[in-house]
Amino acid sequence: MRLLIVEDDAPLASGLQRILEAEGHAVDVTAHGEEAVLAAAQERFDLVILDIGLPQMDGFEVLRRLRATATDKAGPLPVLVLTARDAVDDRVRGLDLGADDYMVKPFAMPELTARVRALLRRSQAHGGPRIAHGPLTLDTVARRAFLRGEPLELAAREWAVLEVLLARVEKIVSKEAIIQAVAGWGDDLSPNAIEVYVSRLRSKLEPAGIRIRTVRGFGYMLEEFK
Amino acid sequence: MVAYYPSIEPATQAYDQALVDIGLAVGSHVRIEQTEYRFDLPAAVEQVLRTDRFDDIYYRVMSPAGLEIAGDAELPAPPGDAVAHNTVYNGKKVRVVSVQAPCGRSACTVLVGETMVKRERLVRDHLLQSLFPDFLIALATLVIVWFGVKRGLQPLSRLSEEIKARSAGDLRPIDAGGAPEEARPLVGALNGLLEEVSAASRRQQRFLANAAHQLRTPLAGLQAHTELALAQPIPEACRAQLEQVHHATIRTARLANQLLALARAEPGARGDTASMDLKALAEVEADAWVHQAMARDVDLGFELEAAPVAGDAFLLREALANLVHNALEYSPRGGRVTVRTGRRNGHAYLEVEDDGPGIAPPERERVLERFYRVPGTPGTGSGLGLAIVREIAAGHGASLAIGDAAAGGCRVGITFPHG
Repeated sequence: MRLLIVEDDAPLASGLQRILEAEGHAVDVTAHGEEAVLAAAQERFDLVILDIGLPQMDGFEVLRRLRATATDKAGPLPVLVLTARDAVDDRVRGLDLGADDYMVKPFAMPELTARVRALLRRSQAHGGPRIAHGPLTLDTVARRAFLRGEPLELAAREWAVLEVLLARVEKIVSKEAIIQAVAGWGDDLSPNAIEVYVSRLRSKLEPAGIRIRTVRGFGYMLEEFK
Repeated sequence: MVAYYPSIEPATQAYDQALVDIGLAVGSHVRIEQTEYRFDLPAAVEQVLRTDRFDDIYYRVMSPAGLEIAGDAELPAPPGDAVAHNTVYNGKKVRVVSVQAPCGRSACTVLVGETMVKRERLVRDHLLQSLFPDFLIALATLVIVWFGVKRGLQPLSRLSEEIKARSAGDLRPIDAGGAPEEARPLVGALNGLLEEVSAASRRQQRFLANAAHQLRTPLAGLQAHTELALAQPIPEACRAQLEQVHHATIRTARLANQLLALARAEPGARGDTASMDLKALAEVEADAWVHQAMARDVDLGFELEAAPVAGDAFLLREALANLVHNALEYSPRGGRVTVRTGRRNGHAYLEVEDDGPGIAPPERERVLERFYRVPGTPGTGSGLGLAIVREIAAGHGASLAIGDAAAGGCRVGITFPHG
């Protein structure tokens, strides 16, 4: 994957670059917002890691311009915003301007790489009909699932629950959010019904090492496949 | 007192006129025999002239050449051309007038003196008569002014009550609508001052945000590089030291965050108050906390019900994050931590419960002090977490309580005021 890091702090930028290169990505680095906007307009990147506190053109402006220009290409360009500010407003503003995720400095590198992976996976899911998660593959057009290449039988609601969780790997998905996503499938659902679908999914997926964690009193999280 | 002099003048003139009359009467008794001046005043006449109800009367007769003819030779004459003066004679204050009485072809000088008993009495009576009404008027004025001022100042008293009732962090302008016309400039000046103070506080907020940025970015770089280095194959001795550096970096970052939070929790530095739901606040943060909990192998759970409050979102998030961080930090591996929000008796609350060692009752007050840590506590906390939570709770008029959790650990709760 091709990534662009927009960060004016040289040590941090080089650290991020090396870590992401170690993950197998091609990484370009710039310290200037204008350069980032220009580069994104001329070349194809799969993800931008954007610092808000840039000199001259700040990250918000860069984000605004990226969103204003780069919509015609193959799918939206995912942007992970980095900020050293803790104002809640910054987060809201960043997400309003179309940032896909948000991290407050300083952060642990495993968290950053996990979020980068999740964003790349999500954008690929948007871009293509197939979503992969370890040994699991979902063909969203044919609505068929494969586990280790073998067809996996899923009931319609199980499929819907899995699709919601798979779209947000490593993120908690509340029971309410799952109910809302599955509600299109007919009559009203109780939280207990969701538990039943999740437990059926678990029995089908866990033998292959795919884990769905219960977040007590809140919802579920599809853990990253290791 | 000003009224005294003009009104007393005609009265004293009348007394002087009576003395002039006596002088003329005395002068009429001077005769000229050849060149000698003679003065014959029958005893009965003198008796009449000298008799007065209140005062002693003196006279002195002098020839045109100034020689003594008769009377009290020591009676002092008015100086120069003056026709009357006040002086002292026989140890008494006297009024002396000088009268020119016809003596043949020229004029003799007759001085007539009178002690000042009735004049002084006149002055005293006059003073009393004129001052008593003055005094009454002054008294009445005083009473009217007293009540008038008191009544007039009532809006000002209300104003000062309103200002007194404010919290230290309340920098909203004062409503000038209820203030009297005269106090409007004062209210205006106060509002100007409040505006300056809140502008200063906004500047401080900006400074803090910038300080956070300046501090966090290099820390992020430091953390990135230590983690990179730790991922390399390196000698064990180096690894141990690098891990120390890594831990120190994380601790420094957390401490910087906490100090900034503490500064932001100071009265006057607070941001805008908005209506929010603690449940939503916890849901937004849940993701990050669950990952922290997974790293520590702690089961983090939620029991979230609607808990509407008015407050500073950043500070409330910080308070909740500190409570969760503490609970995760002090829970054993495989432990359980539960975050709760909701309403109890109409009060919104949030609480975090763990099954760690808990805080012994004697320590519960002290752990709220800045930098205090319970002796023998493992881990690397700064001792700031609960102090921050306490400041934030106090800033929201909320109460902080430390108790025992059902499972034996610690339960820290914040209960918010009504509304």
